[in-house]
Parts: sequence; structure tokens; C-alpha cells
Amino acid sequence: MTASKISSRSTIVSLLIGAVLVVLLGARINSLENYTFARVVQDFLNALTLGSLYALIALGYTMVYGIIRLINFAHGEIFMLGSYFAFYAMTLTPLPWAISLLVTVLLGGTVLLVLRSLFNLEEPKRTFVLSLIIFGGTFFLLTFRKMGWVEGLALSMLATGVAGVLLEAVAYKPLRGAPRESMLITAIAASFFLQNFGQLVFGARVRGFNAQTILNKPLNFHIGPETVYFTGILVVVPLITALLLWVLNMFVSRTRLGKAMRATAQDAEVAQMMGVNVNQVIALTFFIGSILAAAAGVMYAIRFGQIHPLMGLMPGIKAFTAAVIGGIGSLPGAVLGGLLLGFIEIYVVSLFPTLSAYKDVFAFVLLILILLFRPSGLVGEDLTEKV
Amino acid sequence: MRDYLLTLVSVGLAALALYFLTVSEGSSGLLSALTLIFIWGIAAISLNLINGQLGILSLGHHGFMLIGGYVTALLMLPARERRPFRTRLLSDWARNHLDLDKWLRGLGLDVLANSIDAKFIIALFIAGLAAALLGIIVGAPSLRLKGDYLAIVTFGFGEIVRLLPNAPEVASFTNGPLGIKGIPGAAGTIWWTFLALLLVLWFFSRLKFSSYGRAFEGIREDEIAAEAMGVNLAYHKILAFTISAFFAGVSGGLYASYLQSVDTQTFNFFVTFFLLVAISLGGLGSITGALLGTAIVVLVRVYGGFLEQPNPAWVGYLSGAVLMLAAFGFSAYIRKARRLRPVIEPKHFIFGAVGAALLIVTIAFFKQPWMQQTVQFFGMRKMLLAVILILIMIYRREGVMGRAEFSWKLIFGPREDIPTDEQRQQDAWLSNPDLNPGLKEEGDDDASA
Repeated sequence: MTASKISSRSTIVSLLIGAVLVVLLGARINSLENYTFARVVQDFLNALTLGSLYALIALGYTMVYGIIRLINFAHGEIFMLGSYFAFYAMTLTPLPWAISLLVTVLLGGTVLLVLRSLFNLEEPKRTFVLSLIIFGGTFFLLTFRKMGWVEGLALSMLATGVAGVLLEAVAYKPLRGAPRESMLITAIAASFFLQNFGQLVFGARVRGFNAQTILNKPLNFHIGPETVYFTGILVVVPLITALLLWVLNMFVSRTRLGKAMRATAQDAEVAQMMGVNVNQVIALTFFIGSILAAAAGVMYAIRFGQIHPLMGLMPGIKAFTAAVIGGIGSLPGAVLGGLLLGFIEIYVVSLFPTLSAYKDVFAFVLLILILLFRPSGLVGEDLTEKV
Repeated sequence: MRDYLLTLVSVGLAALALYFLTVSEGSSGLLSALTLIFIWGIAAISLNLINGQLGILSLGHHGFMLIGGYVTALLMLPARERRPFRTRLLSDWARNHLDLDKWLRGLGLDVLANSIDAKFIIALFIAGLAAALLGIIVGAPSLRLKGDYLAIVTFGFGEIVRLLPNAPEVASFTNGPLGIKGIPGAAGTIWWTFLALLLVLWFFSRLKFSSYGRAFEGIREDEIAAEAMGVNLAYHKILAFTISAFFAGVSGGLYASYLQSVDTQTFNFFVTFFLLVAISLGGLGSITGALLGTAIVVLVRVYGGFLEQPNPAWVGYLSGAVLMLAAFGFSAYIRKARRLRPVIEPKHFIFGAVGAALLIVTIAFFKQPWMQQTVQFFGMRKMLLAVILILIMIYRREGVMGRAEFSWKLIFGPREDIPTDEQRQQDAWLSNPDLNPGLKEEGDDDASA
């Protein structure tokens, strides 16, 4: 999880490839007659938004891989759960107070238990304050008025984080120390389970995610004769992403738990000998990854306006590709890879409209190529097995 | 000799049973289940070659099956289905030239062209070859990558193959998302799939105990050691992928012909997942285990339909409560049997609590309309398969059979856990200090120390 030194040779090669791509793109843009400045702005905004979402999801993949070397196939489904939690939070509230009380006790209790075990909050005073905040906050949010997207986002992040911890405890924890292939198979099974669980509980149909917020209000503006289709979400997504990344960075680099996390990523066994509670760190990793995925899920739902139980599949795969591009196990790599993939996707479709049918194929091709020829990604450590 | 006879007799008996099934009334459900077991069995056995014997986790099997299905479909499509309005996206070239009938007549082999069965065999063979070509491509990365990265690459290949038929340029060959319909159902007869499965079983059991099979297993156990012993890694890996892809293509062709239609959703990633459950359940590396696992999984899928029947909602709540309480009781039982304290682990109280809550809710709101309305639990079977796979991975990673094969020796042969007289004599010699001087010295050493 540390940015390793990049060798000068690979830097030169990357720069050369980048230069060639830029020249090719420039030529293509020149040859397209209707590619105006307005479209440049539009594409940039779209790409930044999409890339931020991919980056948020990719962080979950990369953190989990960095800690326990598991490709968490079910991460896309965690993303789906996040958007559904927000959906229900925003459509079902305000609840009658009795039901709200029940939900508060169940949800708040679980959240409190998980948070306590994750963040070492054994001190009674802290626990009291925390439980007051959680129970009171949940009850207040659920009972008195219709929830807005901010509250929905916050509540969904908490609930999804807990769901991620539960997933780890139920499916992955018993497999600690098993072959990596077995863990991957389990992750695939967990992904299938969650998809079908989603279809069973949430219904298989596509639902509209109509966040009646300022975020979806068209704020189109003109550049010359062209219109740029602009909504608040196009700015909010990168901003929230930046905020979350800043918090994550602070957490990983400045706190004791963050230090424990980095130590575990480097060498779990030695970290354990040094007194790090590895199980706690792993659960914490899943918690943080799921929180970020939930944030991405809610914003993805606001951005694209609809949710369904299989929605996690393609974003999940693409975010995994992004994590691999950046170098799996590296946090800055995941962000870089996510942004890069977002830009590639938007610009390829925009510049070569005939290729839009191959959008998903393209992600897989990129994944295979990167895995084959540069499995350590752009900034990742070398993970090849040594004799 | 006796084993061959036994095999012949049992195959004959199975064929006889199949014959009685086909002539008896009301057995169509069982027959189609058997056909599915045979088709999926071929696919599972072929996947088992890579995943079990070669020890490489491959997740792209649906791609091979898809290629096989589409090739069979195109080659077998009868003339009346080749009219433009039926196959709107298929290009004229594909419609007119990708026709096995024409090819055979062009070669002057009218005898073959007149028989739909002969054509079907040839089409399956070509389908297998097409899939095998893809197998070489998919197998090539196994020379560079290992483990989960390789698994993701094979998954990527499988998904690319699944996504491509919908793309506009490729749709002129594949008819796009509409798929190809009206394939003659030659494989609908159970005999075709039965014979194919017998052939595949014969081939793979021969392969497993040949030098190639030993080489595959050597690669699984330790690549470096295998290479040091003179096993050509690249050749054997690619060979395994090719063989596996060939038979996956054949089973894809059989499946397309069984369904009489093929589209990209027929062969999605769930197919690979399904096969993965089957071979993990049966035992990775065991051919008969793969078949056994397939049988179990197909039966769950075919006869598990009652799980998704429309029911009043309270049935769901009640079964949820019963399941939770059962899990609670089971964990307590296990812990008691293992003499663990406390008998009820604190976090397992959550099962009991949720179960009790569901039970109370069911009883309290039984009269409510939302409790009585009819609901259907779609996806229960898939969830069940997923749970089975997770449980196998946690509790019995070697599956039912492990790497052992079913054999007649297992049933009729001398039992290996009971020593023969000869072995007993040897043991007596080993443990008798008068006959075994080495033992005496050892014993003396112990005594002096």
C-alpha cells in the first residue's frame, strides 16, 4: 500500500505510449468537425464524474487485495447494496415511530457493535456518547421527515459498511489461510448469492432513483452555440470523492489503526507478532472499502437515475480493472486507475461513436492486457511469485 | 477383464433403463433432467481437466460453450430458418455460406448430407474445433500468469466472447441479441447425449492415467518440480486448455441443440459458476466426482423448482424463522458435542434472535393481508447453489470424492484398510524382535537412554 519507486525505463516507456496516444487523440479530434470546445467540457465533466466513481469502488478492491490477497468479487454487489439502502432510506421515510424505533434498535445496535469492535471503543464514556449519537441520529433521521440525499448517503454508508464486515465474517473469515483460488471461488459464490438475494428482497425490476434534489436539476449553460448539459451531480461527485479520499488518506497515514493497516498489508504475520490485531484490521478494511463503495453506489444511482440488483456487475468489473491498471494494492494507484478508466471510456465513446457497442468489451480487453504485460500496474509493487 | 465386463454390463443396464424410461409415459421430466445431466456432465468433466487435474482456476468455460453452441447452430440451421426475416441481423454471406448441408453436398458427400444425425456429429466436431482454437488463445496466458490473476484473465476472455455476439459488426454472424432459433433438436433425444457422455468418460479416464494426465497432475502439484522432471509446461498447459475447450464446445453444441435456440444469455457467467459448483462438490480432480456433482447440481436445479413456487408470504417468513432457529440449535449442538464452553457462542445468539423475531412476526401478523398475499421467491435455487459452494469451500474443500475415482475395485476389490495375510506376516516380522535385529538394537538404545 505504499507508492513504490518507478523504474526509469518503465517511466520512459509509459511516457512514450502516453505521448503517442495524445498525438493520436489530437489527430482524431482535429479530424472530427463537430468536436467543439463545448463537447470537450462536457466530456471532461462526464469523465471526471465516472472516473471518480470508479476510483471509489476500486479503492475497496485494492485495499482488500492489499491486506488479504483476495479479489473480492462481491464488491460490486456491496456497491449495489449501498444504492438500495439509500433508495429505501429516501423513499420509505418518514416511518411510523414504532417501526422506526424497531429499525433503530436493530440497525443502530448492529452498527454500534461493529464500530466498537472495529475501533477499540471499550472505554464506557466513549461508547455511551457514540451510542447516543448513533441511536438518536438514526431515530431522528428515520422518523421526522423525508430523508434527503445527504442523510441517505450517510446512513447507507454506515449500513453498507456493516454489511461488508458481516460478509467478511461469514464468508471469508473461515477461509483465512486457505489457497487463494478457494477464496476467489468463495468470493464469486458470495457475489452470486448477493445478486440473487437482491433480486429476492428488492425485486428484480429496475427502479427509478429519483432523488428530487438540486443535484438533478438541469443547469445547462452555453459555450457559443453549443449547450453543455450540466447538473449539480457532475460537480458533487468529484468533490465528495476528493473529500473521502482526503479522509481516507488521513486515516491511513496518521492514525494508529491506519498504521496497523499498512503494517498488515506489508506482512500480516510480522504485524501480528508486533501486536497488531490482524482480524480487526481485516474487518476494518472491509468496512472502509464498503463505505466507499456505498458512497459510489448512491452517487451512481443519482447520476444515472435507476437501480437494479445486477447493477453492481459492470461497475464492479470496471473498477477492478481500474485497480489493476493503477497497480492492485496501491491506494493512489486505484484512484489514478479509476480516473484513467473513466476518461478512457468517455473519450473512446465520444471520439469513436461506432465503438460504443464495445464499451464493456474494451474494459475486459484492457484488463487482460494489463494483467498480461504489466501485472504490477502503473504504480503498484511487483507481485510476481518468486522461487 | 472382470472390470471391463462389469463396466459393459452396467452401461448396458443403464441403456436398458434409459430405454424403458423413453417408452414409459410421464417420464419426460426425468428424461430432460437426465439429458441435462449428460450435457452438463461433459462440460463439467472438461472444466475439471483444467481446474482439477491441471490445477489452474479457469473461469471462462462459458465462452468455449458459447462458441460451440453458435457454431453448431449456424451449421445446422435448416434452409427454412435461413430466410432473411427470420434472422434479421444475419448477413447474407453468413446465411448462405455457413451451411454444413451445402458444404457436404459441395464435396459430393450427399449420403452424409441426407442424414441429420451424421450432419450433427460433423457439426459438433467442427464446433469443438472452433472452441479448441479459442482454448489455445485462452490457455496462452497461463504461461505467464498464475493463480487468481490467471483466473481473472480467463474470466475476461469468457466475458469478451459472451459480449461480442451482440456487437453490430459481429451480429452478422451471430444474429445479435436475438440469437439463433430453430436449430433442429437432434440432441433432444437422450441417446445422443448419453453416447457422447460415454465417449467423454472413456476419453478422459484414459487421459487421466496416461503420461499426459500424469504430467497435468505433476504441474498441479509443483510446476518447478514437474519442469525439472522434463514436463514441457507450455505444451501441456496449452494442450489441457485445448482438450478442455474442445469438449466444452461439444457440450455447448449439444446444449444449443437441446434448447433448439442459442443466444448470449444462454451461456452467461452463471454457466461457469454452475459447473464450478458441480466440480467443487464432486471433488476437484475426479472425473466421476465431476459427474456426480453435476448430477446433484442439475437435480437441485430441475427439482428445486418448488422453492420458487408462488406461496403465501407467511411461508417465507416461517421457513426463514425455522432455518435461523435450526442454525442456532445446530451450532449449540456442535459446540456441545465438541465440549466447547460456552455452549452457545454469544454471536450465534443473533441467529436465535432473528429466528425468534421472525416467528413472532409471523404469528402476530398472520391475519394481515401482506402476510397472506402470494409471493414468489425467484432466485432461491441460485442462492442455494451459492451457499452450497461457500459451505464446500469452508468445510470440505476436497469435495465428496476428493481426487479418488469411482472404480470397481472400490466396491468389489479387496479392502485396502484391512491387511491381507501376507501383509500381516510382514508386520509380524517387523514387530518381532527375534526376527528383526534392527528393532532389537533400537529397543536397547531406548532402554539405555
